[in-house]
Amino acid sequence: MAGPDWRGGWDPFHEFQREMGRLFQTFDPFQSLRHIRTFPAINLYVAGDAFLLSAQLPGTAPDEVELTVTSETLTLRGERKRPEGVKDDSYRRQERFMGRWSRTITLPDRIDEAKVSAQFADGVLTVRLPRAEGAKPRQIAVSSPS
Amino acid sequence: MSEAHPSIRVPVGPPAAQSPAAATTRDAAHRPTITPPIDIHEGPDGLTLEADLPGATESNLTIQLEHNVLSLDARIDAVAPEGGRLIHQEYPVGDYHRSFILSDDVDRERIAAELKDGVLKIFLPKADRARARRIEIQS
Repeated sequence: MAGPDWRGGWDPFHEFQREMGRLFQTFDPFQSLRHIRTFPAINLYVAGDAFLLSAQLPGTAPDEVELTVTSETLTLRGERKRPEGVKDDSYRRQERFMGRWSRTITLPDRIDEAKVSAQFADGVLTVRLPRAEGAKPRQIAVSSPS
Repeated sequence: MSEAHPSIRVPVGPPAAQSPAAATTRDAAHRPTITPPIDIHEGPDGLTLEADLPGATESNLTIQLEHNVLSLDARIDAVAPEGGRLIHQEYPVGDYHRSFILSDDVDRERIAAELKDGVLKIFLPKADRARARRIEIQS
């Protein structure tokens, strides 16, 4: 462990090793997660005529995210910086992702770029991507040959 | 430090039946528990712990100190409106939980926490008696 030693090695932390939920991948709390998880993690939903994308970007301000949309792809880019004034050797534990990141998502349908909207709240970016008119499913009547 | 992250390709095709994961987010009885990643760094006056809790707000986050156990809990709901269907999932939506045992060297009365943009910062000051004291040497 890097960092200055307190007299007698002050270690106020001792963490419970817990049994984690069975449904999802579990993480060893003592292992750095940076190489296991992609950053930001993204979920995509379909809601009516729009796709809804949510990206987990904790500690990120809206102006630190670059969002580019074409008719069928969406690209998110940014950089996450460590807090200033904290020396590298003062870290006891580092599990959070830091550094440059970029993600590109190919959407299942074409979207209407002009109507894309995004909002940021509590470290979660939500992007609403309405489908383009021509991409909406149409019912096509199937007639039997007479 | 730059890392290549995989691109997402969402399969195009007929909608799949609802995946078990999507059902989970709607079923309060089986909400997953997520261990949030943390950083801990040490300064002259104590330790600072930072936890990534995207989606956590002051109203859904609880920090508890009971005896010598400090625990973080937050209950998070999905951003999708009712009727939204999950078609690609990289993170579970559920409840954050993580706990620590504090030694007596932490001054419990002065623990301070702040939450901003989904990051929780907890300052754990060193108790006075744990700080190194300079002792004057009389000649």
